Amino acid sequence: MTKTPDLIDRLVESAGPVRRLSPPLIRAAYWLALAVLILVLLALAHGLRPDIANCLKRPIFVIGMLAALATGILASMAAFKVSLPDGQRAWMLLPLPALAVWVSTIGYGCLTDWVSVGPNGMRVGEAMRCFATLLLTSGPLSLVMLFMLRYAAPLRPVAVSATGGLATAAFTAFALSLFHDLDASIMVILWNLGTAALLSALAALFGRRMLEWAALRLAPPAGISSNHTS
Amino acid sequence: MRKRGPPLTLVSPDAVRRSDGARDWTVLMTRAQDGDRAAYRLLLNDVTPYVRSVAARCFSQSGDIEDAVQDVLLTLHAVRHTYDPDRPFGPWLLAIANRRIIDRLRGEARRRAREVALAAEHETFPEVETNLHEEHAHGRALGEAIERLPPDQAEAIRMLKLKEMSLKEAASRSGRSVSALKVATHRALKNLRHMLASRGEP
Repeated sequence: MTKTPDLIDRLVESAGPVRRLSPPLIRAAYWLALAVLILVLLALAHGLRPDIANCLKRPIFVIGMLAALATGILASMAAFKVSLPDGQRAWMLLPLPALAVWVSTIGYGCLTDWVSVGPNGMRVGEAMRCFATLLLTSGPLSLVMLFMLRYAAPLRPVAVSATGGLATAAFTAFALSLFHDLDASIMVILWNLGTAALLSALAALFGRRMLEWAALRLAPPAGISSNHTS
Repeated sequence: MRKRGPPLTLVSPDAVRRSDGARDWTVLMTRAQDGDRAAYRLLLNDVTPYVRSVAARCFSQSGDIEDAVQDVLLTLHAVRHTYDPDRPFGPWLLAIANRRIIDRLRGEARRRAREVALAAEHETFPEVETNLHEEHAHGRALGEAIERLPPDQAEAIRMLKLKEMSLKEAASRSGRSVSALKVATHRALKNLRHMLASRGEP
């Protein structure tokens, strides 16, 4: 076992100047800019859903979209705030109201759409394209979030990754309903809530390991091994 | 808003004292972030007793306390860029210390739920000879039980099971037919099982 004074010597030796982190909300803004960029690129490549004009006349649709967007923005702010050692845990509550509105609009739409589900509501081709949108949105957003929050691994891995996962999931759901006409209610639930639940759960389950991996591989602390005590 | 210290100079210990005589950790940390190693050393040496006192509230073994202290120092080192000089250093350090200590306590609780500490009576050795007394006891019980069997059954058991002869060998040695030996063995095993069970063997 290393003696504590020896450890301090090693830490001091390897301590160069560090760049301080920008304030958390500014870093959240960088991430949000990336999310907007991805959405714009997807919109250019794929085009909006064909019935977007009709959808925008339905208040439920508009409220749901705005709530998803708000959930994404607030959750990303919360994730960057909570990731700091002295960040207040209460920031995690920030996205909850928007999340509640978002989830309730999905449920409401589902009830009203229930009768219009046809026997062949979804085509396979559309589902595949949905999946592509899902991966293209959630993949880069999760990876960048992981990289930006890697220092939170020894601090609050589960809270940070769950909040970050929620932000990614909300943006993914927003992108899905912007680009794809998912009118069958089951599919709406599956894609929206399923994606959100899946991403958040994955983030919560594996967030600790992923953050630790990112912290080690992407920016190993110079000259300090992590298994010092054994 | 806290005022930052003067721009980077090599720190002399008196330059960072507050009015009450204690060194100002916020100033030290800010300088450490700028690459001032002397300030960083002062800071780490200063906070170690404090972190140790926090850890001592949660761990009783001195080894565990020291492990926790080192864990906190390493984490502080790894995330030192997250410190914002406009905010006080104490709560930042305490938050890191608490997170690491809670993590270690959880890990310890998990380990304790899975593992049992070995006491003296659990101690044994992999060599067969060290555990012979048990086998002796079992063997003696079996030998006594065989003694109490009818002679033909005892002879069949000794030849076929203890000496591991084949049926043919045993038949030629004892002058009895193979089927008689089979019957005797079968009855002997049944009797032995009965006798050993009634001895209250576990």
